[in-house]
Amino acid sequence: MHLSKLRNWFLASPPIEYAISKLRDLLVGAIKQGPVPQHIAFIMDGNRRFARTHGIETVEGHNLGFEALARILEVCYRSGVQVVTIYAFSIENFKRSKFEVDALMEMARVKLSQMAQHGEILDRYGAKVRVLGRLDLLRPDVLAAVDRAVDMTKNNGDRVLNICFPYTSRDEITSAIRDTVSEYSKPLRSTHSSSSLPRTPFSEDHITQNIRSRTTNGKLEDSSNESDSVSESSTLGEDDGQKPPDRNHVYKSESALSSAATLHLPDQPTKGQTRESTGSEPPVFKSPETITRQTLADHLLTRDNPPLDLLIRTSGVERLSDFMLWQCHENTEIAFLDILWPEFDLWQFLPVLLRWQRRVSKARQNPDAEGNFDGEFQDPSDDSREELVVSSAAKPKSL
Amino acid sequence: MVSKRDRELLRDNIRSRGPKLSATDRENIVKPYLPDPSELPRWPPQRRKKLPRKTPIRTFIKSQIHLITYTFLHIFFGIAVRLVQTYHAVVDRILAIIYYHHRTPELIQKDVKDLDRLPEHLSVILSIRKEDDALPLLMDEVAELVSWTASAGIPVLSVYEKSGTLKSCIPVLHEVITNKLSSYFGSSQQPTLQLFAPHHPIYETRPHGDAPNNCLIVLLLSATDGQETFVDLTKTLAEMSQNGKLSPEDITMELVDAEISEITTQPFQEDSLAAERGKAGSIQIPPQVKPEPDLLLIFGPSLKLNGYPPWHIRLTEMYCTGVNGDGTTGCSDNVEYQGFLRGLWHYAGAQMRFGR
Repeated sequence: MHLSKLRNWFLASPPIEYAISKLRDLLVGAIKQGPVPQHIAFIMDGNRRFARTHGIETVEGHNLGFEALARILEVCYRSGVQVVTIYAFSIENFKRSKFEVDALMEMARVKLSQMAQHGEILDRYGAKVRVLGRLDLLRPDVLAAVDRAVDMTKNNGDRVLNICFPYTSRDEITSAIRDTVSEYSKPLRSTHSSSSLPRTPFSEDHITQNIRSRTTNGKLEDSSNESDSVSESSTLGEDDGQKPPDRNHVYKSESALSSAATLHLPDQPTKGQTRESTGSEPPVFKSPETITRQTLADHLLTRDNPPLDLLIRTSGVERLSDFMLWQCHENTEIAFLDILWPEFDLWQFLPVLLRWQRRVSKARQNPDAEGNFDGEFQDPSDDSREELVVSSAAKPKSL
Repeated sequence: MVSKRDRELLRDNIRSRGPKLSATDRENIVKPYLPDPSELPRWPPQRRKKLPRKTPIRTFIKSQIHLITYTFLHIFFGIAVRLVQTYHAVVDRILAIIYYHHRTPELIQKDVKDLDRLPEHLSVILSIRKEDDALPLLMDEVAELVSWTASAGIPVLSVYEKSGTLKSCIPVLHEVITNKLSSYFGSSQQPTLQLFAPHHPIYETRPHGDAPNNCLIVLLLSATDGQETFVDLTKTLAEMSQNGKLSPEDITMELVDAEISEITTQPFQEDSLAAERGKAGSIQIPPQVKPEPDLLLIFGPSLKLNGYPPWHIRLTEMYCTGVNGDGTTGCSDNVEYQGFLRGLWHYAGAQMRFGR
């Protein structure tokens, strides 16, 4: 007890404090020299347990957690991290005691409105605050504070703080799917399909004629296949390289049938009406086949941010708890630390950062070493697509 | 770092919940800690002219010092990492000597007997190596894992391998696993094995004797069952919505959950197979798999998910066996019994125990 008091007094004495802050500066500057993760996510766990073990109120624990957050944010932004995402409040957390939920809400409101008072400082340092999640679940006064803070900082520079406020990842993924679907079920204007494209190398009419003449010759199968690949290549653009090859095949045979059917019976509305290649029907939609992983990722709440490089969870619990499931599933290094969040500081953060830097620089030195499978995985579909385009490009020339 | 005195001031302010410090007061406290605006990469252009130009030598020296610190930091960190790795490697070897399964299910059972809880659904992430005989090795690893899982009494095992090569050879894999199981259990009391992958028919052993003692379900996953599944789901939903069969508001978390879970839990039923199984009169169709794994074991150097299906891992405990597999040690076994056991211990919240 006396020892810890002595230690605290010693650490708080001005020369030591000065030395420590210089040391921190040095370390942060040193970290800056290597590769730095662009996007870090934190699950700030352990505030309550900290409060319990230290015999203070839960709310006080959350306040200390906020201080820890401020320290870590300082380290992150000064060492060059672009985006920091924090898990502040889960939708599930509404199930906690009303007292605690209210206290957390109050804290968020106070912090956000305090922040709004310092608009000028925020402007100067260019931090942008965004709140991700189900804002409709918030109390109106909290929502007002959120809106104000987000609105004030929206024009700021490149550093972003994402606060996941009432958030779960499943909810995020679901709404991404919902938004994508509703975007795709908005009818396009009839001229849209051709004018929006950067270039249309082949005229659709010509190809249709071409096919019709060939189908009467009896070569239904492969000619309609080609028409389809042409329409695909002209409507899809470059972004569907991630499709696995088997999907490609299924889709091809199916739509080959439908387009063949429409070619034979041009007056009847068939099931191919949604396809752009048969764009004569009034409601024209974007083809659902153009949906890729990127499309979904573009509808996530983190759409503007660089990919998540590092996810840190404190308090020794080794789960994601519905946070960033989609974002962290590819190439994110996940670190579970056995420390409570209010105690979290540069000293615990540093090893994680160093390990990340080590791994990244190793991976840059020999890219074949591990986990670099993406290229191989995407190749087959790319190749097959290219082949299709080439073969269909060769066709009109030969005629 | 905010000095102690200022920290106390700010804390007092929070505690009193009153406007003790005004906005300007707070700014004054914080100001000394803010970095000099000139250090920032982009400052407003009108400020640029007013600022006195910094001496280039000082910044140069500063950056050199940082560079040196960075180098030393990484040298020391590298040494530390190596030391920790060595320590873990030694511990691993000791554990591997103390705990070895000897292909006896009873021993494995004894090892897991004292654990407070066992996962109901265990999931592992394996990675295929680059050598020529990678596939047989991988299948052997899967077979070993299946045997351990069966011996430990865990009913469901899902195996994730990114490229999905395992899925293309399910019959062969099934044979390998069956052989391995019979070397563990003997041919008489082998557990029933159900092996399947999403969109693939279920592959099942016929239990030799009567009374199938325990049933084991093995699920093979690959990267296409991850985000691609969501893409497919979205495509279908978009198509339905375009045809007016569904409005976007109908898409709820429950719907998505049901659909995604169905893909990984309901094996694709082929008519002939289903009929055959109906004749055999076995009870366990369709197998009810708990879609969310309780424990995810990563056999690899770092905790990365590598495209693991995202939806079901929200409450999954993750454990990385770590250390080896650096490629430099030449240690060919990634999947070891002691790693498996450590994962289970970890899940149960137990400490590593050296003695029995």
